[in-house]
Amino acid sequence: MNNKLTNFYKLHKPYTQFLLFGIILSFLPLLVSLGIVKYSLLTTVASILIYSIVALGLNLLLGYSGLISLGTAGFMGMGTYLTAFITADLGLPFELALIISVAVPMLIGVLTGLVSLRIEGYYLAIATLAISEILRKVFIEFDFITNGFSGKQAQYPKLLGFLQLDRNGTYILIVFFLILVMVMMHNLVNSHTGRALSTMRGSEAAASAMGVNIYRHRLLSFAIAVAFSALGGVLYMHFVRYTYPNAWILMLSLNILAVIVIGGIRSISGTVLGAFIVFGVPDLILKRLPVIGSIDGAAYIFNGVLIILVILFYPNGLINIRYDIQRNLRKLFKKGEEING
Amino acid sequence: MDNMNNKVLKIENLSIAFGGLKAVDDLSFDINEGEIFGLIGPNGAGKTTVFNCITQFYKPDEGKIYFKNNKGEVEDLVGVKTHEIIGKGLVRTFQNIELIRELTVVENVMVGAHIDFKASLFNQFFRLKKTREEEAKIRKRAEDILDHMGLLAIKDMLTAGQPYGVLKKIELARALMLNPKLIILDEPAAGLNDTETLSLVNLIREIRDERNCSILLIEHDMKFVNGLCDRICAINFGKLLAIGTPQEIQKNQEVQIAYLGKEDD
Repeated sequence: MNNKLTNFYKLHKPYTQFLLFGIILSFLPLLVSLGIVKYSLLTTVASILIYSIVALGLNLLLGYSGLISLGTAGFMGMGTYLTAFITADLGLPFELALIISVAVPMLIGVLTGLVSLRIEGYYLAIATLAISEILRKVFIEFDFITNGFSGKQAQYPKLLGFLQLDRNGTYILIVFFLILVMVMMHNLVNSHTGRALSTMRGSEAAASAMGVNIYRHRLLSFAIAVAFSALGGVLYMHFVRYTYPNAWILMLSLNILAVIVIGGIRSISGTVLGAFIVFGVPDLILKRLPVIGSIDGAAYIFNGVLIILVILFYPNGLINIRYDIQRNLRKLFKKGEEING
Repeated sequence: MDNMNNKVLKIENLSIAFGGLKAVDDLSFDINEGEIFGLIGPNGAGKTTVFNCITQFYKPDEGKIYFKNNKGEVEDLVGVKTHEIIGKGLVRTFQNIELIRELTVVENVMVGAHIDFKASLFNQFFRLKKTREEEAKIRKRAEDILDHMGLLAIKDMLTAGQPYGVLKKIELARALMLNPKLIILDEPAAGLNDTETLSLVNLIREIRDERNCSILLIEHDMKFVNGLCDRICAINFGKLLAIGTPQEIQKNQEVQIAYLGKEDD
């Protein structure tokens, strides 16, 4: 029986790991209501999970396809405004809002990609930066829909038209989507499209010789990245229930990029780890420290220093620290054995 | 075009220039079915450029490249998209190995059958039945080829850090995934030691005999080319010097001056 269980675990290893992670995360609201952890921790963790979803999309683009987008914040912001408009202003169901708010940014992303991905090099980065700034301008100027600088509000989602979620329920919804995205990412990168993307990143010549349509695959991975950004935006909107133009600036896109660099390029668990470090540590630790906590922008300094350190010592991300820990533990263990023997 | 009876590839008056430099100049040759055909010439003679023209990495300025595809139809490859070439039954390897360091050996080989995968994106996202079946089928095919080359033991290792001779074999394995009609090898023996070269000669012969395909290769190692090829085409400065059996080429005055003579001095 035990053997069967371990076999099952091995066979479905990543799935069970993701599921376990999701179950652990789901206990947080309980801890909050028992008064073990602070109320505000739930908000911090929820936003970390949302940024993890967004960063996973960017990791597919950067880590697997070798492309850089600087428009993450813009597409995420677009997701927030769209879902707010559809649910709050038009009064349509959450599910419909979710679909439209992911599909429309995706469409705009594809149009951007159609133009900028034909050319090799960093044109996608430039084009997405421009789109992101245009979108932010739209959030400000189209105030008859967006309310301009004063921002826009929405409610916790109502599922299937009757299941009204509260703060905890929305948090669980975010956990669900994160685990779903992790599973989808894992499956994709281990299927033929994932291998084609990796081949394209490693050698365009080899990829096209093996029949990979480079342009189409670039476009595809960019569209997926945009979709995940927009999904993050939708979840953000219905958890935080407030969006305003200056939340979606370049700094956020760069922070998401930092998540990948710090956590681990081409790594799903690394991305989540990176999100906890980049968006968690400043809020949970830095702000509580005596002197550092009072410095404005301490988070930026922290991230900057961390990026330099990670690139120096763990060029593939902090997630690889686990191998070092394992190795050192094994060494310690062996030493103990030698002494005993 | 009409007399492609026993031929798999026929190149007619191929020319391409980079700026003022004529890299390939009015070159014609053809390859018979089941033939191992060598393309030789001094450095910079335009050999790799010919390969790149055939596989449509470069678009030739002039000339025709007739190819008898998988279905037995004759087709001009000029203008076909680079990523569509492999589907015609024509596959190549590269002079500088183009394998993906982050993928395992078997995954690298599976990329060779990329166009055989039909599962939709949605299907892949949730690893549904079709994805699982295709993965299993094509992984098996890749493992069989690796087994044949004696590389099954390292199939789940990353390609990064594998010895050069092994990398060359993996690239060759990737080229075999779709049972091509013509395999183009760009300097397959470069960087290999004598034992490895010898085993490569046998391997290439085996591939030709078992898979019923033709092989076109570029190589500097004359012993290798003479021992392996049925016919050889020698070029210099993008122009044809001579075509013939290894013996004929060795005796050819022009070739000796341009290539062999110089190497001996």
